[in-house]
Amino acid sequence: MSGSNRNFVLAYAFLVILPLVGLAGILKAGRSLTAPISIDGLWTLRVDSTQLDSLPCGKVLAAVPDKTIAIAQSGRTFVLTFPSGQKLTASGTLDGTTLRAFLTPPEGSSDNNCADGHQLSLLASVDRKAGSNLLNGTLSAPDCQSCASVGFHAERQAPVASKGGH
Amino acid sequence: MPNLFTLVLQITVILAVCRLVGSLFRKFHQPRVVGEMFAGILLGPSLLGWIAPQFSAYLFPPSSLGFLNALSQVGVVIFMFLVGLGINPKELKHQSHAAVLVSHVSITAPFVLASLLALYLYPRVSDDSVSFTNFALFMGAAMSITAFPVLARILNERDMMQTRLGTIAIACAAVDDVTGWCILAYIVVLIRAAHGTASIWMTLGGILLFVVIMIYGVRFLLQGLERTFHKYGEISENRMAFLLLLALGSALCTERLGIHLLFGSFLMGAIMPKEPKFVRYILDRFETITITLLLPLFFAFTGLRTNVGLLKGPAMWFYCGLIILVATSGKLGGSTIAGRLSGMPLREAAGLGTLMNTRGLMELVILNIGLDIKVISPALFSMMVLMALFTTFMTTPVLEWICPDRILRPEFGKVPAKEAQLQGSIMESTGGSAA
Repeated sequence: MSGSNRNFVLAYAFLVILPLVGLAGILKAGRSLTAPISIDGLWTLRVDSTQLDSLPCGKVLAAVPDKTIAIAQSGRTFVLTFPSGQKLTASGTLDGTTLRAFLTPPEGSSDNNCADGHQLSLLASVDRKAGSNLLNGTLSAPDCQSCASVGFHAERQAPVASKGGH
Repeated sequence: MPNLFTLVLQITVILAVCRLVGSLFRKFHQPRVVGEMFAGILLGPSLLGWIAPQFSAYLFPPSSLGFLNALSQVGVVIFMFLVGLGINPKELKHQSHAAVLVSHVSITAPFVLASLLALYLYPRVSDDSVSFTNFALFMGAAMSITAFPVLARILNERDMMQTRLGTIAIACAAVDDVTGWCILAYIVVLIRAAHGTASIWMTLGGILLFVVIMIYGVRFLLQGLERTFHKYGEISENRMAFLLLLALGSALCTERLGIHLLFGSFLMGAIMPKEPKFVRYILDRFETITITLLLPLFFAFTGLRTNVGLLKGPAMWFYCGLIILVATSGKLGGSTIAGRLSGMPLREAAGLGTLMNTRGLMELVILNIGLDIKVISPALFSMMVLMALFTTFMTTPVLEWICPDRILRPEFGKVPAKEAQLQGSIMESTGGSAA
């Protein structure tokens, strides 16, 4: 074997084969990692609309036609939108199985009680017993001490199996 | 039914903005494609949706995006056919030790570093419906890709196609792209097979059979087309339509087999005869509409999916910076070290590393697939798009800084004129207007 060939083989072993062996180790090590629970997808919200009306800004949410929530998740953060309704959006965080988000109604909302930057607070937990396809939680108005919080359930529409798999 | 007024309005605005921004970037010695990628982001929620949400909602209502996506995907299918057409497997067979080492290191280094980064990012930007293996493999494939067409365009613009650096870079980019697409195909098969009815072995068997038919059957038909071209100096419209049907049919087969439309069109391009005049002739017939009309739609659609607003807080921007750092050090650093160990002078090796770090449009194609199969989250998608923009944008200025013209041209051996002519053809088309 000539000198240049030997150098090539050594360089190839060091820069290509060795890293590939390392890759196998990385993939093995990564299997023990746990990522945040999946909440991504479309959810059907079940909530008593009459109770919602009593909350400041609740009418905005009650007016959404089919109560479908779209959650776009990126790790521990998520963005919540209502595809069929008004431009009602929320950014939230996921801590274990607990979701926290603040829904901000759009400007010029028809709800007279929804002025001065009122927000709706969403607090929910993922029901792992239901295959992480069920949310139970409450909606409340943080700046209204006298308003009672409203309970809700949400069921995931699309199966989680459509995602990037195990 | 699509709202035709909205669709035509969208196309008009997208073409105007892409042309304008692309021309502006050309003034700064950047390939037009970088400007068009940037224009797509400007039209999305990151800028237009942020500063003029009502106009953005009027121009891009969610219900209209399906049609825009369909048009842009047709464009990418044809574009991938053109990219495959530009890759000549025969050129790859006779590469020097330097090219072999650099091409393989420029895949493994970013791939392994990306997988290491995945250990850190997986618990932070992914979720438990995506396995770590799929996440890490996807990150590796996405970071190890090189934008063959954009690279070819940069080399052509700098008159570097006939230099040793140019020929090695183009060969390595071709190897990287083929390898990257194979890895991506494997990941897509794994993910789809996990949730489909067919077993993975059936899928792999089907793919193998398809590839054999393409190489030993369809390729024979294509050689007939080439012979016709040499005999008459042109190809009839019927035969061109037949060629297009084969490309689309191939794309449909790979989609049906559980990989993706784009693999079929890429393979179809790759098995086409590579005689330069024939390649030029085919490119001339496909390039204008694809590059000037359909690809800007893809950039806009990608921009509409990219939301820089999702990168909230310093942590997210830290992840983004880390992704850019790892992508650059893996590709640029890995290729430079490999080039140096192969005996290239330091500046030339660094120039090669810089060229290999160009990701451009190919990266966007891969990222869109990743978002479609949901192996990456919207925020990670946005970070990776920024990384693609950054690494493509930095290529020209860094190359000018590392490799002044006097280093690049005359002293290094020239490649045969035919190869240079072919590569020139590829650039003017697949990289051409877009680049």
